[in-house]
This record gives sequence, C-alpha cells and structure tokens, in this order.
Amino acid sequence: MNHDKDVINAAVMVKLEPDLSEGNVSYNPDGTLNRSQTKNILGPHSAIACKAAMYAKVCYDAWVSVCSMGPPTAEIALRDAMGLCCADELHLYSDRIFAGADTLATAETIKHGIRKMGRSIDIVFSGHRAVDGETGQTGPQTAWKLGFNFIGNVIDYSIDLESRMVKARRKIDLPGLYTVIEDVESPLPALIALDPSYRDNYRRVSERLRYARLMKEASRRAKDYKSYLRVWSAKDLGVDVRYVGLAGSPTIVYKVEKIPKAKASRRAKVVDPSNVEALREVGNLIFNIAFGER
Amino acid sequence: MDRFDAVIVGGGSAGLAALMELSRLGIQAVLLESGKPIGSKSVSGGILYSKNYPNGRVYNVEDIYPDFLDEAPVERRITRYYLNALSGSKVYTIDLTEAHEYRTNFAYSVLMARLNKWFAERAEEEAAKLGGGIIEGVHVKDIVWIDDGSGSSSGSSSNSGSSSGSSNSIIVTDELEEFGAKAIIAADGVNSEIALISNARGKLEPEALYQGVKCIVRVPEDIIDERFDLDDGEGVAHLFAGDISRGHNGGGFLYTNRDTLSVGLVYHLDSLLKSPIEPYNMLNEFLTIPVITNYIVDEVAVPKELDRTLPKEEQLRIRFGLSRLLKEYEGLRYTYYSKHARLDAIRQGLYSSEEEIKARLEEVRGKLEKEYGVTFANNYVEVEYACKLVPDGKRAMMDKPYKNNILFIGDAAGKGIFLGTRIEGINIGIDDAARAARAVARAREMSNFSEDYMGRYYAQLVDESPYTEDIRRIDFEYMKIFVRACKSIPLEPFPLFLRLAFMLIQKTIVQELASSIARMMDQSTLLKIIESNDAYVKIPMEVAERVGREVKPIAEIRPLSIDERIGRLKIREDEVPHIRIKDPKSRFIKAMVHLCPTKCYIMEASEEVSKEGAGAKARLKAVVSNVILQHEGCIECGTCSRETEWRHTRGEKGIVYEYG
Repeated sequence: MNHDKDVINAAVMVKLEPDLSEGNVSYNPDGTLNRSQTKNILGPHSAIACKAAMYAKVCYDAWVSVCSMGPPTAEIALRDAMGLCCADELHLYSDRIFAGADTLATAETIKHGIRKMGRSIDIVFSGHRAVDGETGQTGPQTAWKLGFNFIGNVIDYSIDLESRMVKARRKIDLPGLYTVIEDVESPLPALIALDPSYRDNYRRVSERLRYARLMKEASRRAKDYKSYLRVWSAKDLGVDVRYVGLAGSPTIVYKVEKIPKAKASRRAKVVDPSNVEALREVGNLIFNIAFGER
Repeated sequence: MDRFDAVIVGGGSAGLAALMELSRLGIQAVLLESGKPIGSKSVSGGILYSKNYPNGRVYNVEDIYPDFLDEAPVERRITRYYLNALSGSKVYTIDLTEAHEYRTNFAYSVLMARLNKWFAERAEEEAAKLGGGIIEGVHVKDIVWIDDGSGSSSGSSSNSGSSSGSSNSIIVTDELEEFGAKAIIAADGVNSEIALISNARGKLEPEALYQGVKCIVRVPEDIIDERFDLDDGEGVAHLFAGDISRGHNGGGFLYTNRDTLSVGLVYHLDSLLKSPIEPYNMLNEFLTIPVITNYIVDEVAVPKELDRTLPKEEQLRIRFGLSRLLKEYEGLRYTYYSKHARLDAIRQGLYSSEEEIKARLEEVRGKLEKEYGVTFANNYVEVEYACKLVPDGKRAMMDKPYKNNILFIGDAAGKGIFLGTRIEGINIGIDDAARAARAVARAREMSNFSEDYMGRYYAQLVDESPYTEDIRRIDFEYMKIFVRACKSIPLEPFPLFLRLAFMLIQKTIVQELASSIARMMDQSTLLKIIESNDAYVKIPMEVAERVGREVKPIAEIRPLSIDERIGRLKIREDEVPHIRIKDPKSRFIKAMVHLCPTKCYIMEASEEVSKEGAGAKARLKAVVSNVILQHEGCIECGTCSRETEWRHTRGEKGIVYEYG
C-alpha cells in the first residue's frame, strides 16, 4: 500500500435514488411511490458528495474512488458520479444477499468495500441523507464501523497535507433558534457528510482551470464508465452474511403513515384596498405583531 | 499566488481570438469573462468580414480558426448588399453589392452569443494544451502595479532588458483570489473598465459613439429564402436611410440569418443626446414601415381568451393542453419550413417523409383550431431585444493602444470602420488580437513586458494593419464604388440643379476630380459632409419620394412594448447596483430617461424647492426633478456610462443573451 505523505486517497459513497424532481415521479393509487415507474438517478445529496470529492481532486490531486451498494442498475448512479468527480475507480456492491439492508447493514457492506479498495483511504465523502430513506445514518455508521472520525453537516473543508489534518466548517441549524457555524479539525482518516448547502468554491485561477480540465476528462470517462467499474458480490467482499442485507438489519419498519396535514387555524378577512380605514387597521395589526407586546 | 504570462480580460470575439493566437504561439494564457456561459454578453449587428488588401496583410477569422469555414455556426453568407432610401411607404433601393465585395473574401451574418461559444471551444482546447484556459463568471475590478524597485513604471530608462516595475501587475476580481499577470490584453469592450482603471484613456465622448438597438425576429428558413430570393445558405444585407430617424443621424439595418432576421437601428449618440428619444419606440416605428413589416411578418397562432367562469381545474387543463399543442405546432412548423430541419427529422427517423410532417402539421393545426379555438393571424415573432454602444473608430480609436503592460484590442481600443455604408468591427478586433498576441510573444522572448517595449511594439504592429489606415483616412476607392452604384438613380424627376449635380458626380472624370479634391480636403470637413443630416436623412428622403416605388403593407403587425421585451430577456439580477448616478439633476442623466434602452432611468415626481431670491423679498419657486436609477433590467449597453460610476455586473450576473 502506498502512503506518500502528500497523497490523498478519497472514497465517495453514493446511492441510486428515485428522481423526485418535478414531473418525474409516479405514485401508486395508495399514495406510495411507484418505484417501477419512477426514473432512478444519482441522488442529489450523493451528487454533492461527488462535488466535494472533485474539490479534493482539484486542490489536492486526490485519487478518487466511488462506491455504491445496490442492484445492477445502480451503475447508472456510478456513471453520473463519474461525470461529477472524474473518479479513478467505480465500485458496485451488488448481491441478492444485500437486499433489504437498513443503514447499519449497508454501512457494514460499504466498510468492507472501502477496505478492499486497494489503497488506504484517507477521507470518505457521503451525502447528508438519501431522498428515499431520510434517516441520514449510513454515513455516521460507516465512519463508526471503519473507525474513522465523523464530521457531519460540512459546508467547506480543507486538508493540510503536511500534518494530515482535515479542517471542516459545519453548519448546524438549531430549529427555532439560530444557525451555528462551527470550525472543527480532525486527523485523517475521516468521513465527511456534506451539508445540502455545500457549494464548491474554487477561488484560485489555477483551481478553476484544473477544474475545467477535470470536468472535461470526467465527461469523457463517464461515457466509458464500464471500463472503470468493478462489481463485487458478497463473496468477493468477504462479508459475514449475518451482518449484511435483511439478516444484518436490526431496524424493523412496522408501519408507514402519511403525516396528516395540520388544520389551519388561520382566519382570513378580505380587505378592500380602497378603504383607508380598513388598511389602517391592517397596518396597526402588523405593527402590533412586529413591535408591540406579545 | 498564481502567475501567468498573459491574462486576457473579456471573452468576446477579440479576446477569444487573442487566447487562440497566444496559445498557438506557445504562451500560457488565461481569459477571464464575467458572463456565464461565455458569449452571453456579446452583441453585434452583425456581419463578420474576411478581407484582403493588396499591400499589407490582415489577420482574418479563418487565419485564427482554420476550420472556421467548415465548422463555425455562422448564419448566412452575405452575397447581396443594398441601401434603401425611405420616405413613408416609398422605397428606392441601390445595389451596393460591389462596394460590399470590395476587398472582401467573404462575409457572414452572425449571431455573436452563439458564435462566441464556438470560438471559445476552439480557443479553450488550444489554451489547455499549455495549462491555460477560460474562466467564466469572473469580473475584473482592479489591476494593481507593484513597483519592484528595478525601474520606473514608464520612461526611457526602463528599457533595461528585464521587465520593468510597470509590468508586475496583480489582477483583482470580485470572485477569485488575486493573481499575477506579466502581460494583460484588454478586450473588455466599448465600455472598457481596464482603460479607465489604467488611465489609458478617458470615457469615450458621445461624438465617438453610436447607439445600436436590435431585435431578432424569427422567420422560418424557407420563407426567408423565398422572401429575399435566396439560394440555400445565402444571405442579404439591407441598410436603410431616410425618414426613419425623426431627424437623427443614423440608419437602419436588416440582415438575414438562417432562421431569424437581425433588424435594428444605429444612431450617433451625440445626435440622440441633442433631442433624446426612446430607442425602443424608434425601433417600433421602424418595424411598422411597410417595407420592413413585409420582411418580418409571419403567421402566428392567437389563442382564444380563456373562459374565466370555467372551474379552475378545467382552466388548468385547457392551459396545459394548449401550451403543449402550441409548442408542438411551432416545432413542426419550423421543421417543415426548413429544408435542413426537414431532412434531419427524416434522417433521425422521426418522420418517414415530408408529406408526413406536413400531414402532422395540418393535423395539429386543425386540432388547435377546433379544440382550442385558436386562430391564425399575421404578426411577427420577436425573440430577443438587444442594445450595444459601438465605437466609431475614426473618433474613438486610441492613439496609444497600450498602457504599462496592457494592450487594448477591438472595441476596448475604440476600433471600428464606419464610413457611410461600410460597417466593420468584429474583423478589426480579430486583427488586433493577432497583433497583440504577437507583441506578447515577442515580449516574452525578450522578457520585457514594459510599455516601452511591448506596448510600443504592439502599436507598431497595429500601425502596419491596413485597417488602421482605413480608420484614419477615408478610402476613396470605396467611395468611388459607392458613387458609381448611385448612378442607377434616374434623374428625370429631380429639379434641374440637383440633376446637374448628380450628373456631374456620375461622370467618371468628375469622379476622379471630385475624389482628388476630396483628398485635398481636410478629413473632418469631408466627414461633416458624409455624416451630415442631409446625407443621412434629407437626400435619401428626396430620392425615395421622387423615384421610389410604393410598397404596400401585406399585413399589420403589433410591435412589442418595452416591458414585454424586458420580460423576455434573461437577466440575473444582482442585488448590488453596478451603476451609480453622479448628479441626478444633470442634463445628461435626464436624457437617459429617454435614451436608456430598457427604461432604467425614471424621473422622480418633481419636488418643489423654495429658494430665497438674492437680495429680493420675493421667494423664487423652482421645480427640481431628480432622476432615479433602477438597475434591474439593465442590459449593460453603457449608454449612460458617461456621467455615472459605471461598471460591468459582477461575475455571472446581468444580461444573458441567447442570440446576441
């Protein structure tokens, strides 16, 4: 295994997800998602993780490997990921045994995959969550299984190649209160889960030029993604079948409910805009709410 | 800090040619463009010429891009060129094709926003080989020169062989970390900020500028062929003069593109400032002149007013169904009325034959009429409105197109040949670009990017360009051809003295004589005659009235209002204003209320101000009105730049032209 001081080996975990953007979704009569009719794409949060990996490639010349667990069709997600981060390798963990996995069992599979990447991985990028699962636990659980430091909600990061430390900026929303921006530092290896608001920000001319060049290369590679792709079975990965797939999933989903819409408690009154008195009343109301006593 | 041999500011046709040439000369170069995608802020009239001169060479577009003629997305090859004298519905047409062909290899109508994207692809590919390239969405806001103590910023002592202090420059942008540049090529257009930052020149005077407004009108390809009697790929240019200007000095134009027409007006800015008038209103008057209307008219679907009493769901259903069907109809129509699109559609297997397309078109049309009550009427289809300032080379050209380590090219250097019916700009910017690239290459060889070395060498190369001579002096050969073309005007209907004058001019001997006299005359005196109101307005009107043919309108059109036009433009608003008014009460700013092509200047409700009369008891009442600026909707033409703090928008912001 090579481990030159200034080499960064990065992995990205992505997921094939239904395209929930407008006009592309299909629902069953009971209101659940019609998976067979809905197109599958690289999940939007996974795409953000890919952009973060591209940043590592542009700024630190990182070697990047993308992995995904899913059915054979999930190679579509890997192809799209390729187009975003110009990966050097693609890995698909696909086996009937993996089916029905919850976040923990998925993390177990990915752990084995990352360990078998042929290079010692320094940094793993994951999305914030999936759009069809929403629990956002696969990232942290993978980090835990790998024994990597986990940094979540990351909106910006940099790596110090000398000290092999990653500096990350986290955005923590405290609902109803305020948003906290936190700068943290961690030694590598680490797993970074990107906040949905992450935007790659190339501030140097050389970075912009390198980015443009790599994006061209990325679309070239994406067309030829199969020659970068390796598909792994459970046996190839050497997983313990008790810890993956349905067997390895402690989560039991016993019921899915639609959240009932809360009844509106608002009352509306139509005000004639030409009636000055009525408008004044509206003005007073707004003023009282904004500045008056509660 | 990053540091580059050459940095180009501005990704128009000149800047891109500079990038291409520098890269081919082995110089790592980076081009910065504030628009995104590249080309989105480019506007031209536009015809792109390739020229040849018996003595001296020019660098043409095909010299820069060897596959230009085979691959570039040009519109039509302009093979005919006309000047139309207008008066009311009367038109007299003079064939100027010979003048158009004068020293011309070829000329194409172009849509700059599209063509620049192609130029950019080529240039970027070439630049990437050396580690250079194009960076979009970056606005250069300052350049800082660091005196490294080894020499003064200019002057004779700096010619020491090494780069002087003045060439050690740092580029400051809104978007990126600062970086160094040894040579800078300023290709940031007529409203060059680099020229002002570096004090290379002041703002251009109104006398040295034209304001051009243009709209792109969509007409199916085959209909254009038929209407203008054109063979496949051929195009025509029409210029117009006469009573289209409300007395201002300037004229109109109409160029055929592949499946659009570029229709617009160009006026001397000083003439407009004297009696300000809304450019969009003038454009609308122009569009409704019978001869223009007949060129741009097309059949347009008119949807029936939606019945508001219907249930909401039903209204929605109709709306969606109608918009989908209309879209299909339009697509089909432009496919059917274009040889190329028709063949493409058949080749792609979308349809088996032309008849099938036609049948489908008629089916959809019938459905629109029966199911949605759509009617079809004559109108025109305007797809983009644009405005641009154009530097009048003879008055705007920089004497010294360089400063410190900056070389100015194209519009930024005030280039352009405008002599009556001769209109060239893009080709001159490209020629400049090739010369600037050579100057930078030489400077790098000698590692001397100073004003005294690189700047002067560039100026020398520009001086050698035949274009420079054409900008400085009226080309009498061209004028002779022009006068010869005017021979076709029948003289009988004119009063005797005019007839005599015409006849005299038309006699070859007199022509020679006249041109020798003209040669002796002072350049500016001659220009006063060529660019006089008589030449622009009165004589064309006289000709049209006396010998013109009557053109009857075949249809009536309803030109778009300025609000509709702005509504169709794609503008990425920036919360930070990029223009600031200096004096809201000045005459110039008040003129902007009329002259701003997108109505950004508004006269505020007048306020009454009381003043103490000096020494008098009576109080003088004065009405003072302020002009306020709403920069939303600004298309960055620069008409108002003279008396404002004017900047281009920050990276990625502002206008995004699709046609250009």
